[in-house]
Amino acid sequence: MRILTLASRNVRRNWHRSLVTMLAMAFACLIMIFFASLMEGMIQGSERSVVSMNMGDIQIHAHGYRDDPDLYTQINDADLLVRNLQKQGFRATSRIYGYGLLAARMASSGVHLRGIDLKQEIKVTELHRHLSSGQWLDESDANGVILGKKLAGTLGVELGDELVFVGQSSDGYMANELFRVRGILKSVSDGIDRMGMFMPMQTLRNLLVIPEGAHEIVIIRPDRTTDLTVETARVEAIAEGLEVKNWKQLMPVIARMIETADVQIMIMLVIFYIAVATVVLNAMLMNVFERIHEFGIMKALGVSPWQLVALVFAETFILTLLASIVGLAGGWWVSDYYRIHGIDLSSMADSIAYGGIAFDPLWYAAITTEALVYPVLFLFIVAALAVIYPAVKAAMLRPVKAIYFR
Amino acid sequence: MRALCCLIAIFLVSPCFAAEEEAGKDRTSYILNKVDDLWRGESSYAVVTMQVKTEHYTRTMRMEGWSKGKEKTLFRVLEPLREKGTMTLKSDNHIYTYLPKTDRTIRLTSGMMMGSWMGSHLTNDDLVKEARLEEDYEAIISFEGERDGQNIIEFTLTPKPDAPVVWGKLMLSILADGYTPLMEHYYDEDMVLARTFTFTDMKMLGGRDRPAVLRVVPSDKPDEYTEFIYETLELNIPVSDVMFTKSSLKRR
Repeated sequence: MRILTLASRNVRRNWHRSLVTMLAMAFACLIMIFFASLMEGMIQGSERSVVSMNMGDIQIHAHGYRDDPDLYTQINDADLLVRNLQKQGFRATSRIYGYGLLAARMASSGVHLRGIDLKQEIKVTELHRHLSSGQWLDESDANGVILGKKLAGTLGVELGDELVFVGQSSDGYMANELFRVRGILKSVSDGIDRMGMFMPMQTLRNLLVIPEGAHEIVIIRPDRTTDLTVETARVEAIAEGLEVKNWKQLMPVIARMIETADVQIMIMLVIFYIAVATVVLNAMLMNVFERIHEFGIMKALGVSPWQLVALVFAETFILTLLASIVGLAGGWWVSDYYRIHGIDLSSMADSIAYGGIAFDPLWYAAITTEALVYPVLFLFIVAALAVIYPAVKAAMLRPVKAIYFR
Repeated sequence: MRALCCLIAIFLVSPCFAAEEEAGKDRTSYILNKVDDLWRGESSYAVVTMQVKTEHYTRTMRMEGWSKGKEKTLFRVLEPLREKGTMTLKSDNHIYTYLPKTDRTIRLTSGMMMGSWMGSHLTNDDLVKEARLEEDYEAIISFEGERDGQNIIEFTLTPKPDAPVVWGKLMLSILADGYTPLMEHYYDEDMVLARTFTFTDMKMLGGRDRPAVLRVVPSDKPDEYTEFIYETLELNIPVSDVMFTKSSLKRR
């Protein structure tokens, strides 16, 4: 008895019923994949908001700089260190910082100056893609600066407006320069929003007379799936005598929040899968119970109980296989669409901030192998579980009873 | 019984205390005003050299300054060339800075008040609060007599409860003879010594002997200092009010 041939014929023979069952399962699979990738996207998105925007995975400072951000507490051979890190496969960039007063017309505000290495920064962080208006920094426009969102509001400036900076350079003289607003950022983090003023590194070096050295080196690990702790230890080995901390150590509150979100999402996924499982279960139950009469006739013709169970399982397998292919394709396609376009939440909230970090109001899906494979596996398991009961019941029935089963 | 006696005694004596206190108060503020007037008078013109030494740099600046009454001060930098023409105007509670390099005037916000003034060990807040000892502090004479071979009077100034001050208390010692200031100690809110002003180098300034050098030493960095050296001082000269307006900054 060729079970598979029989099974496929059975599936084809009553294609109408098979199609309905299959579509229910495919739809369930699609929804599961989409939901999983949305959730994965949420985790990755919040991590990206923290890490890729400005923090980096790992940061290097001179000892004591984070407690007291003093102009003179510098990393001396920053360029060499960055090159060494790049040799090891890390993406790294150095930054210099300073403080002072920024005035525009009659409004003024304290500012945190951030001089960045334009060539390297683009490879490390995503700030340059996070402008709400204007353009990113350019070496050729040395006095064009980028302001944080709230800072621009405090000063009441728009693109092209003039800014006067006053501060103290490292040699004790007054630092004073005119700048022009080249761009304004979207919400990044509390500190940057309120006080951030970005400029090309050389501009800041000239302004505050810092001929060399850097205050901070930001690192992104080459592969996001590697263990952060291990990578941190690797960086520590390269950056001897300096303070090396990863983002989870720098922002424990946010790190914990993302970790708990992980668990929450797992719980939500499980609940969601259970809901989907009832749909599949229902479809499969109906599919088998409808045909108990048919099974009774088969038994009367001399099909053994085991063959019958195998047959039902084979049919289910074929259905599930087809459903999972359709579901996988559909789910992948839908998830991919939202991976590119995202769901815009900005109508609900202008900017979502938590613990001083602004989260992107666009919610993107993220496709991972897990998000694709687990729903399919789950579908097979649920379908198999769902047919055990009716298949066994059919196999145990006495033929006469089965024929008259209504 | 003893307690009762004490109470009666206090009751009988207290009016004299009050009277004495009144006299003390008058004397205290009289002397403090004298000290204040040493450099200011009704109006003044001075040329001062400021020397700042910190761990990272040493710099010298020469500037001229005018003052009128207690609330108006104007400084203009003469040297170094790099900063020549930079002006600081203090008028009432505002500080304006004119920056020749960019030809702009900016007003310092309250957030900048604790920042260093011109890279020195004085803050912008010191500039604003400088002449308000009387308004913000209660003064008492805490010591009078001989110390280190000099006859001195020591005042302790404690901030009034609602005064906008950052210090816990000030200790000012002056020479009993001529009311010349010698030392001023600033204590922070935890009553830890924060910085010391010393007045030295008596010489003829503005028609009488005055200390020509004022040195500020922060307690947490004893190797650093800011020193103000008076070259000339003219008191009670005619100075126009117009000088102390924002619009005059650019014209000069």
